[in-house]
Amino acid sequence: MNPVTSIILAPVIGALILLVIPQRQEGWIKRVSAIATLIPVALALWMVFRFPVGEAGYHWVHRIAWLPALGIQYQVGVDGISLTLLLLHTLCGFTGVLVSYRIKERVKEYYLFYLLLIGGVAGVFASLDLFFFYLFYEMAVIPMFPLIGIWGSGEKAYATMKLTLYLTAGAVLALIGLLAIYAVSGTHSFDLIFLEHFLRQNPIPGDLQRWLFPFLLIGFGVIAPMWPFHSWSPLGHAAAPSAVSMLHAGVLMKLGSYAILRVAVQLLPEGAYTWLPWVAGLSIMNMVYGGFVAMAQKDMKFIIGYSSSSHMGYVLLGIACLNPVGLNGAVLLMFAHGIMTATAFAAVGHIYDQTHTRIASEWGGLARQVPFIATVFIMAALASAGLPGFGNFVAELLVFFASWNTHRWAALASILGIVITAFYMLRAVSTGFFGPLNPRWVKLQDATLFEKVPYLILLAALMLVGCWPKLLLDMISTSTPAVLSHLDPLKAVARL
Amino acid sequence: MTPSLLTGLLPEIWLGLLFTLLLVLDLAWKEERSTALGMVAAAGLLPVFPVLAWQAGMGSHELLGGMYRLDLLALFFKGIFTAAAILVLLMTRELDKTIPRGHGEFYLLILAATFGMFLAASSAHFVMLFVALELISITFYVLTTYLQNNVNSLEAGMKYLVLGSLASGILLYGIAFIYGATGSMQLSRIQALYSAGAPLPVPLLFGLFLVIAGLLFKAAAVPFHFWVPDVYQGAPTPVTAFLSVGSKSAGFLVMFRVIQELFIGQAAQWAPLLAWLAALTILYGNLGAIPQRNIKRLMGYSSIGHAGYLLIGIAVASRLGSTAVNFYLASYLFTNLAVFLVIAAFSKVTGSDEIKAYAGLSKRSPFLAAAMFIALLSLAGVPPMAGFFGKFLLLMGAVSEGYIALALVGAAAVVVSLYYYLQIVYTMYADKPEDLSPIRVSLPVRLALWVCLAAMLGLGIWQGPLLHLSLAAISGS
Repeated sequence: MNPVTSIILAPVIGALILLVIPQRQEGWIKRVSAIATLIPVALALWMVFRFPVGEAGYHWVHRIAWLPALGIQYQVGVDGISLTLLLLHTLCGFTGVLVSYRIKERVKEYYLFYLLLIGGVAGVFASLDLFFFYLFYEMAVIPMFPLIGIWGSGEKAYATMKLTLYLTAGAVLALIGLLAIYAVSGTHSFDLIFLEHFLRQNPIPGDLQRWLFPFLLIGFGVIAPMWPFHSWSPLGHAAAPSAVSMLHAGVLMKLGSYAILRVAVQLLPEGAYTWLPWVAGLSIMNMVYGGFVAMAQKDMKFIIGYSSSSHMGYVLLGIACLNPVGLNGAVLLMFAHGIMTATAFAAVGHIYDQTHTRIASEWGGLARQVPFIATVFIMAALASAGLPGFGNFVAELLVFFASWNTHRWAALASILGIVITAFYMLRAVSTGFFGPLNPRWVKLQDATLFEKVPYLILLAALMLVGCWPKLLLDMISTSTPAVLSHLDPLKAVARL
Repeated sequence: MTPSLLTGLLPEIWLGLLFTLLLVLDLAWKEERSTALGMVAAAGLLPVFPVLAWQAGMGSHELLGGMYRLDLLALFFKGIFTAAAILVLLMTRELDKTIPRGHGEFYLLILAATFGMFLAASSAHFVMLFVALELISITFYVLTTYLQNNVNSLEAGMKYLVLGSLASGILLYGIAFIYGATGSMQLSRIQALYSAGAPLPVPLLFGLFLVIAGLLFKAAAVPFHFWVPDVYQGAPTPVTAFLSVGSKSAGFLVMFRVIQELFIGQAAQWAPLLAWLAALTILYGNLGAIPQRNIKRLMGYSSIGHAGYLLIGIAVASRLGSTAVNFYLASYLFTNLAVFLVIAAFSKVTGSDEIKAYAGLSKRSPFLAAAMFIALLSLAGVPPMAGFFGKFLLLMGAVSEGYIALALVGAAAVVVSLYYYLQIVYTMYADKPEDLSPIRVSLPVRLALWVCLAAMLGLGIWQGPLLHLSLAAISGS
């Protein structure tokens, strides 16, 4: 069995098994879900260690003719970029199940939707066919609706509807773009590998590319989330249950930048030249404006939520650089930020489940009461602020280097963004975890040994990549030149 | 193999026999047992499928002196009508108590409408076409008013009758103009008169537009949509369901026959009008559905919206567009009937069609709630449900022919429709129910729902077989 297909199918099969397990067998429901998400972790790790560094192109490609009449085939496979993101996704998916063990209400339905979500997202990262790419993308959006609507908190009705509609609007806009590429290329094929080769030889006319690019850029940019289409995201993070926030900020937002890279930049290079400088400009808004908004928040989940959309600006900037260093940084940052933000959301969720408030100033002195969770959160906060030793530092450094030559203003703004991040993250830590202990929380429970497992996994991954980035960077840099190979080298140099 | 009169008309003959059998049984059986008649009718329709499959091997033929034809498109649609009739008959089980009298005739009328749809599918002559459409319309006028004690039902029937007669008149007027301009009522002769690209003379074009107007009424498209919300809300639920899939499919089928087959070469003259109407219909239906509080009324607006999507497939005038319409109608059949099955089962127990009443349905009946959830997602066009692939094909058809703006309208409406469908989902799953009593679902409805669910997911994931059937129905005609 192909490992990539198995990563997609394992959660889906898990969901099908859940259908036949009776509602009251909660133990089995949790066990099945854990196994269905652990198998993908093992497969992703196996592929990372077996990855043929230095060999460009897609590996472990699995192809089944689907609808030959329309040029649709089920085709999955990975390169260094998508494998990195799959690893991130499987790690967040598995730890998310462990964190969700606290959920008491309607357990079976919860895991059912959760596993479908996991399967859909994995499908997007793995798809090498535009039809299936879109299919999985939409499949990943819809389970969020009940997950937030039923198990969420706060303004969940509004948040979940806004999130679903924003993401669907982006998706259908992108769909029109994808269909237009299909129609204009004249190949009558959705095969991404074939289209990449074909369009390298027979590019779509420049004017048309410039015209089509915004469809994909805005469509996928909504989920990235690119300013000014970001407003669904902090709301969604705040309303979602912990595991869904983790997956959402950790993985789902990366779908957008991944799709921009894989489809828009790779298939429409002329469009990329014209529009990516605008993206660099917008990324300043993400980084600085997002940072300032995060500073003004009092709710911990909103702080991390705005921080996430602020940091996705670095990813967009890395892509906008259109050079290998920038892309490497962007992809590595997607990984590191995903792990970091998942950790932070899990920690906040742990406390919220007991305190039922997330306002930082109402917490106070929790480090004494829940030392383990506090340590975890502080580490995540420091990682977010770019402390060396965590993956975020390496990745953001790469983005600075790359953007210094191409978009100097944005590079300067990104440094400002780091300072802002340090400010609000450290303030959140000091008000929430230090100072005198608020007497309301003397009964607060720290994580049990079992509950510590997901945090340890995530932090280990974050520090491993921080201290030994080569592990992932070798893999990523094997594939980034291929993305840029469509781009005219002369134009790329002229921009430097 | 060349069909004889007997083999060519076998499905219609079988329907006639079934009709007679039901008539006799209705007289012979006592009133209490008459609900069993519906099951007899449903079972009696099953053998139609193998007959249709057998006829598919015969090729295209004209029978009855050019009045009647046998081709794959006709067979494809007869399959759709039969499936719709069977599912609707199963649904009528939930209606027993609410119909004051005349159970037996109710099933007879459903069979009569099905018979009309069969004739419409096979008619090759404008007179036959008109008779078939009138047969459908008149049975539906009666069916709509079947809840004689209910003012809404009577009002709906009255509205439908008045507006429907007007539409029939317009259609007939149009046919007269076409006859005047061409000297023939036979479709194949008219087709032979105009080569591709030759502009149509004005009287013919005028007649064609009048015919289109009459058909837009059947299809529930703007600007002939005014009857839809009231009739959908007032009519008995199985009738609404049959109207929304059977009558609508018949409208689109005849559009294929009259517009596409005859005048595909003159698409430049009629396609822009249909493209505009498609966009307006999509917007009207989807925006109108937002404020609705009654689920049947909401489904009425939603049905207008879907008619708009289907019009895209006609307007693009390409093979892809027509294939998409076929696929869409087949998937819409199972999807929409699933929604109406849930509505019927729900209102039998609670007596309400208000969306508010659906609060907490997922606790009262997880099966009904799940079926509704999946069906609504399919209506909105979310993968991996069948509705998604239909919309995908339609948008693909629009983009391939350069109708980018139309495709964008269609895409935007997906978001709008998701809004009002998900409101229902939210009500069912997240709101607290006032009454926690479980809702029991009868076996026929359960069975029909399982069929619909299997079809929605099956056709959505494994699209190949239906896609090829849809394609063959276009190519073979």
